[in-house]
Amino acid sequence: MKLWLYIIRRILLIIPTLIGLTIIVFILIHVRGNNLIIAEYLNPHLTGAARDYAIQQLYQRFHLNDPLFIQYFYWLYQVINGDLGLTRTPIYSGPVNTALALFYPNTIMLALVSSILIWIIGIPIGVWSAVKRDSVFDQSTRVATFTLYAMPAYMVYLLVLIIFAVYLKWFPISGAVDPLLLQGVSWYVNGISYPTHIIFIDALLHGDINIALNSIWHFILPSLGIALGGVAGIIRLLRSSMLEVLDQDYIRMARSKGISESEVINIHARRNALIPAVTSFVYGVAGLLGGVVVAEVIFNIPGVGYWTVQALLNNDAGGILGSTLIFGIILVTASLILDIIYAALDPRVRY
Amino acid sequence: MSKNIGLIGRRNYLLKQNPRIEELKISFKIFFTNPTAVAGFVITLLYFIDIILVQFFPSFIGISDPNRYIYNFNNPVPLPPSSSHWCGTTAGGIDLCDAIIKSIRIDLIYSLFIVIVGAIIGLLLGLVSGYLGGIFDEILMRITDIFFSIPYLVLAIAILFVLGVSLENIAFSLIIVWWPLYARYARAQTLSIKQMTFIESAKASGTRDLMIMFKHIVPNVLPPIFVQISLDLGTVVGVFATLAFIGFSPTANIPELGYLTSLGLNYISIAPWSVIIPGLVITVFALAVNLMGDGLRDVIDPKRRSV
Amino acid sequence: MSEILTINNLKVWFHTRRGTFKALNGVNLNLRKGEVLGLAGESGSGKSTLGLSIMALLPSNAIIVRGSKIILKNRDYLKYFELFPEEKIDRKFKIKKNQKIMKHIRDFLAKIRGKEVSMVFQEPMTALNPLLQIGYQITEALLAHSSINLAKRILSRINLTEDDVREILKIVKSSKNVEKDLNEFSKLKKLDGIEDQVLYILNRKDLSTIRKERMIYSLKEKMKNPLTMSYLKKIAENKSIGIYRFLNRIPILKRYLKGVLIKEGYRKAIELLAMLNIPHAEKVVYMYPHELSGGMRQRVSIAIALANNPDIIILDEPTSALDVIVQYQILQLISELKYKLNISFIFISHDLSVLAEVCDRIAIMYGGRIVEIGPIDKIFYESLHPYTKGLLRAIPKISKDIKTIESIPGTVPDMRNPPNGCMFHPRCPYVMDVCRNKVPKSIEYSKDHFVECFLYGE
Ligand SMILES: Nc1ncnc2c1ncn2[C@@H]1O[C@H](COP(=O)(O)OP(=O)(O)OP(=O)(O)O)[C@@H](O)[C@H]1O
Ligand SMILES: [Mg+2]
Repeated sequence: MKLWLYIIRRILLIIPTLIGLTIIVFILIHVRGNNLIIAEYLNPHLTGAARDYAIQQLYQRFHLNDPLFIQYFYWLYQVINGDLGLTRTPIYSGPVNTALALFYPNTIMLALVSSILIWIIGIPIGVWSAVKRDSVFDQSTRVATFTLYAMPAYMVYLLVLIIFAVYLKWFPISGAVDPLLLQGVSWYVNGISYPTHIIFIDALLHGDINIALNSIWHFILPSLGIALGGVAGIIRLLRSSMLEVLDQDYIRMARSKGISESEVINIHARRNALIPAVTSFVYGVAGLLGGVVVAEVIFNIPGVGYWTVQALLNNDAGGILGSTLIFGIILVTASLILDIIYAALDPRVRY
Repeated sequence: MSKNIGLIGRRNYLLKQNPRIEELKISFKIFFTNPTAVAGFVITLLYFIDIILVQFFPSFIGISDPNRYIYNFNNPVPLPPSSSHWCGTTAGGIDLCDAIIKSIRIDLIYSLFIVIVGAIIGLLLGLVSGYLGGIFDEILMRITDIFFSIPYLVLAIAILFVLGVSLENIAFSLIIVWWPLYARYARAQTLSIKQMTFIESAKASGTRDLMIMFKHIVPNVLPPIFVQISLDLGTVVGVFATLAFIGFSPTANIPELGYLTSLGLNYISIAPWSVIIPGLVITVFALAVNLMGDGLRDVIDPKRRSV
Repeated sequence: MSEILTINNLKVWFHTRRGTFKALNGVNLNLRKGEVLGLAGESGSGKSTLGLSIMALLPSNAIIVRGSKIILKNRDYLKYFELFPEEKIDRKFKIKKNQKIMKHIRDFLAKIRGKEVSMVFQEPMTALNPLLQIGYQITEALLAHSSINLAKRILSRINLTEDDVREILKIVKSSKNVEKDLNEFSKLKKLDGIEDQVLYILNRKDLSTIRKERMIYSLKEKMKNPLTMSYLKKIAENKSIGIYRFLNRIPILKRYLKGVLIKEGYRKAIELLAMLNIPHAEKVVYMYPHELSGGMRQRVSIAIALANNPDIIILDEPTSALDVIVQYQILQLISELKYKLNISFIFISHDLSVLAEVCDRIAIMYGGRIVEIGPIDKIFYESLHPYTKGLLRAIPKISKDIKTIESIPGTVPDMRNPPNGCMFHPRCPYVMDVCRNKVPKSIEYSKDHFVECFLYGE
């Protein structure tokens, strides 16, 4: 009951952050000047007075003659109604909306799978290296995490790519799914799968196990790369907070009850040690999403990140607008989820 | 009687020397008895020597043009390391050793610039908002919240889009996304120091705010910020290189490590060294800076100091 | 009276970077069944360390020196371990190996912890896990050692017949010694565990007699599903629960197996808390530590210590962090428990006036040794050791002049380089030459009154 109240309060707190997010995106786009905004809409064959007239019309349409402050509200109204403008990049040209529907599933998929991998890999290793402090396992974990932590993200992905795709050939080098498999599939139209747009899930829904497996097979390597990039921080943090927790009075108290050491670790120590790891993962998600961008570029996965970089290289305002907005929303949602997990873990924050 | 106490006090003072120098001595001792920290320090030093040589004595190490790569279109496909090319070559026949020696300079100088400027902005704002509190503090926190609501790499790309892709603009965009971190950090430090009793007593004795800030708070906030800078430097070098890696088209021809790595990308299956070697150069630097930063953290850790 | 715990020549040292810290230097002590033994001494004299040694919960840098004996119910448990002899604890000491030994001792003794000996720690505010419900933290202790009892309690409610209830009510109304008769009744009818539940209802002060009767009626419970029933029966008969251990891993099934025991644990926890005079115990079990006051948390700690009816409870300054009223209540509680449950207590405190309220005997500790031990009257009115005399003089007495408050001159010795001979000699007003060279032996000055001092004997 109290947890629900907390969740509702936390959701309400998102609103100002979202408004801030739209302000920052609005400013970014408008600092570049109005010409870029209307560029996508302007017929390039017009010249002279006709062109001037067309520009005038577009200025009217987008309220570009009004003060910036007013413009923001027109723009916000437009965004809320789902009109995000046009984008023109080599990988997609058309409404930003459609582009998002096209690209976001891959990004979400990468972010989710790699977050899950981070915790699956991170928790046992971090906990264990604290419990077995200074053992060979602990020492090698520390060397490995230190190195991983220092590596730039793209380096981790490249190494993973070289080892598992180039040398071992276990995984494909690039792409999100084998395009040959999708030929003539009824639920896959113009590069978009229906109904969820996430190929893996749609394939499962339609019973195409083959395609689903192929999609997963493509995602393992980039997700693993992103996870490896992020897991080092989590392991280091968990290890140190676990060491701190193991020194606490309540651990001694737990031991004094005569419960087994594994219960002491699993029930008493681990949950307490997880709290700082979960709170700091809010910052970790920001890094992880950055990693998603780079991984999409390196592994050639058509996701929002890949689109962003294409937009940057091709001077495309729509792409930057759409991707910044969607990444912001993903991040805000992720931190909301993390906060709820935190509250579920720690009864003290619910009050 | 009172004279005596004065004398003894002065003698103790002379014997013990200046307490600040004493503290500094302890700091050096803690740092230089930590082998990994020293290793990090030495490696970092080597990188900076490379910068100085490339900047001021390029011909001394056999570099003809420090500002661009030298293509060899007779042999555009990457060659493996050999006696003529110690690190091999990358796309366009560029010699990797030569390219790396040139590139380190750009990455390091820009990264250093980013952290220092970012830290100064963040420190000033964080100090003021932490010390004054109230509406100013509230506004600053909301602003940093907004910055934290977009993944920093994406925000940097968006800013880069506004400014146009160039090395300087990469640096600017990273300053813009990095300062809020320092602001938060400096604010938290300031808040914790503000609560200590000696600040209260300084206030009670009528010291002015500005005085308190610079005499009491800044000296206490600076050391942890400094440690943070040295730890961040490794991350920032990586992010800077990452932006250069994804942001430049293959014809840009700038001596920068991320860009250099991206040149090898098309040959990754036949010439993996062309991406591994430049990447390792950054990794080693980041590793060294992190080791050094860990050593520095020990230096300011009161627990370690007392043992 | 029979001795339940004997400690012989116990030496516990701490390995630190700045040398070996000799916290306990040959402690000899015995604890009898059903007594409260007070343990007094200045801060740093090693009281907590002694308690932790008995619990086998010493920190990882502790060293138990070879030759130390802790005999609990006639079992010398340190016998099984390859402890380091005194002369090997030097610069080249193998700290890693010692840590392994200490961990072995700790794991080996998990079985007795909570069941035979339990301890209430010095810091009530931090002793409870902030993330777990009070009820769970008590239940955990019950599950560790008394799942048989929990299962029996559930089964007793299920097996209860209408006739049984009527008989119980008859006993309650007419018997002179309700407790004894109920015990006999439950033995006879094989309804182990029902008596506690009835007594708990009877002892509640917030209910009318009619409500109580109705509650006793409603003790009767329906049969549970066959899986749960067979699980409970297996546990109650103390049989191996092999396959259930695996089934308990499956979340949904766990609710019907271990979950049933946990629920019963909460029920028992409510009874325990009520016995310790915690108001609204049935709500408190669902609370988290941060919602309780220091005194409440201390009582929860005591409830955890009491959960499995241990033979010995070590109370480490259970009252120091509390205000005087709560302190008084807790002392009251301990006196009550002593009569009710026949538990032996070791009551640690640096405050002799607190000990005077509850103890049968008092041991005075200095520099990691018991310098004097004896019945409470002897310690207070015929104290022998100069240190004890000093401690007694340091108790402020309201009736007298303020001037009479004294303290013992000097400070506690540096236990990294403890003084030769008697530990107390640098501070002793009666110091003699022999004190500086030889360690005094323990002398039985009068019956049951021992002292380690050269002023006595010979
Ligand atoms: N892990 C440890 N490492 C080193 N020294 C320790 C350690 N634990 C305790 N000590 C030292 O052992 C001595 C005895 O500690 P102990 O906690 O037993 O004292 P105490 O009699 O309980 O004191 P208090 O009344 O303050 O609780 C103290 O001086 C303490 O500094
Ligand atoms: Mg103590």
